[in-house]
Amino acid sequence: MASRELAWRLLVRDINTQYRQSLLGIFWAFVPPIAAALGLTLASNANVLNVGATAIPYPAYVMFSMALWQTFTEAVVGPIQAVAAAKPMLAKINFPREAIILSQLGQVGFNFGIKLILIIGLFLWFKIPIAWTVILAPVALLHLIALGTAVGLLLAPIAALYEDVTRGLTLATGVWLFFTPVIYPLPQEGSFAQIVRLNPATPLLSAVRDLAILGRVTDPQSFWLASGVAGLGLLLAWLVYRVALPFVIERMSA
Amino acid sequence: MKSLSSNGSNGSKPPSEITSASSDVVLSVQGVSKKFCRSLKRSLFYGIQDIGSELTGKRKSDVLRPNEFWALKDVNLTLRRGEGLGLIGVNGSGKTTLLRIISGLIKPDAGTARVRGRVAPLIALGAGFSPVLTGRENIYANMSILGLSTQEIEDRFQAVVDFAEIGEAIDAPVQTYSSGMGARLGFACAIHTDPEILLIDEVLAVGDIQFLGKCHRRLHQLREQGTAFVLVSHNPQAILSMCQDAIYLHKGHGVATGNAETVMAQYEADLFSGNVSKTAGVMQFPRKSRSESLGLDLVTLSFKNPSGQALETLTSGDPARICIQFFAQVAIATLNLRISLMKEGQTIVYMGGSNDKQVFNVSVGYHEIQVDLPQVGLAPGTYTMRVDMRKDALFILDICESFHFTVESNGSMSKSIYYQPRTWKLLSGDREVDRDAIRS
Repeated sequence: MASRELAWRLLVRDINTQYRQSLLGIFWAFVPPIAAALGLTLASNANVLNVGATAIPYPAYVMFSMALWQTFTEAVVGPIQAVAAAKPMLAKINFPREAIILSQLGQVGFNFGIKLILIIGLFLWFKIPIAWTVILAPVALLHLIALGTAVGLLLAPIAALYEDVTRGLTLATGVWLFFTPVIYPLPQEGSFAQIVRLNPATPLLSAVRDLAILGRVTDPQSFWLASGVAGLGLLLAWLVYRVALPFVIERMSA
Repeated sequence: MKSLSSNGSNGSKPPSEITSASSDVVLSVQGVSKKFCRSLKRSLFYGIQDIGSELTGKRKSDVLRPNEFWALKDVNLTLRRGEGLGLIGVNGSGKTTLLRIISGLIKPDAGTARVRGRVAPLIALGAGFSPVLTGRENIYANMSILGLSTQEIEDRFQAVVDFAEIGEAIDAPVQTYSSGMGARLGFACAIHTDPEILLIDEVLAVGDIQFLGKCHRRLHQLREQGTAFVLVSHNPQAILSMCQDAIYLHKGHGVATGNAETVMAQYEADLFSGNVSKTAGVMQFPRKSRSESLGLDLVTLSFKNPSGQALETLTSGDPARICIQFFAQVAIATLNLRISLMKEGQTIVYMGGSNDKQVFNVSVGYHEIQVDLPQVGLAPGTYTMRVDMRKDALFILDICESFHFTVESNGSMSKSIYYQPRTWKLLSGDREVDRDAIRS
């Protein structure tokens, strides 16, 4: 694909731009999961929040899950942000438009790489034994990112036309978080558990965690189903993106 | 058309005249139409509608929906290697839309635009420049967006830097560059992509005069190497000097196609509402109504000889008089006249009333301003004269964009680019020649 080289250039450009204008640099990738873990642990210890037993110490559970969730939401908003940021370029130059999406994915990967340092530190600090299946965790993570990208890519053309999408999405990801077992373990029964189970992000995110900690995927059937949804969704979204973008560009000022 | 290909190593196909003629076509636009919508809300809604119908394959693009209009309707053009094509038309006639379709940014609603090879839009100079990154990093990113591989960029890198005259500043962030430097770098990147087609929109307003000259030289060089051009400009000289052919767009329709001079003449005729007549070196302007007038209207423009007879052509070295007749609707205390004589888009002579300390005080009524030229200094050739009349320095009262005229040789002009008035003399004998000067 001719856009790979361009995507790489754009990735290098964006990461350089980002970190050259920042004093604390990669520090910002660590802060949100730590802050979330701190707050939630305090709440949990004070019995304000009652989340049930987790396989690993709760602060580690939250930090690890938050890092994964963040990666997911980055994949969702990524395509939308990428199209918005590249507007002046898109309006003037005809270049392979997948490149900005690939570059954005590269950024998601880069950011996860940084978070990985935090996660490794976490496992060492809490002396959590890791399962050998951890080497399979990246596969599940890729499926999770694919799902996020599918959603973002599908919305990106519409978001470039209507600002409502971006606003709605901020709200939606906030709500989505509560229906995904990030700050609490997977609920076993009740109607809430049903909703959480129907959420396609649930089996994918759980699978990454399970592979790292438990050494097996708790619910392989749901995992493969959700992976299928992610794969097909990504294919469809990519098709829509290709077809839709000329109409969007038409409506951008040159 | 090339009759001989010297570097074609695989001569498997015998070059026939027909194939080489069609392979020379780098751009072919056929029956292209494009509709736009005037209302933003509706336009966005139509956007969604179009995406939906395109995906389901049920798109009907040949009907106008409410609030839509044809920005382009049934435009045709072909461009071959090394050709220059001018796009002319008033603002909003569809020139930029056509360029955007050619560059593949937007899809036409009907018709096709086929491009062979790389298109470099000189519309989007420095697109994708990141202000905090250095010039070096930006060159890589920008040229990559323009479609070059890393290896290709590395090969051209030094040429780009040299051309842009950035020098040491190449490793400084682009936001510290002056606007001229930024524009130069953008231009240098675009021009070094070795495109098959260059799209140039409006004036190449990059940097100072010196750099502008360099840009024009480079464009000329590319053209000789076979790069085709599409040039959008309001400047008749720029079109005439760079393009053999032109298309005149009016409200999205291609009203005239063909030889640049013919098309330009039609455009100018339309621009002056078709009433301007020019006979025997005299340009007559239509009478303006009170609402059209800005207080002063040009009536005629002509060249005369000192005895007052109209001159159809000027002659280098001969006297001439520029006569400007006008009607003042109101009294103007500081009437300021500016005359530019131009050749191929470049001003050769500029005569400004305020520079010459010639500001007039005119009452209501007809007047004539005469500018006497004791000897015409222009070299033989075709020129255009631009005349504008102003109140003070800025308020334009009336303007004549282009009055075409020809200068003929008086027989002693070979090798000269301007006429130097002179007298010759021969001095002989000791008394006449200053021999002290020779001795010392």
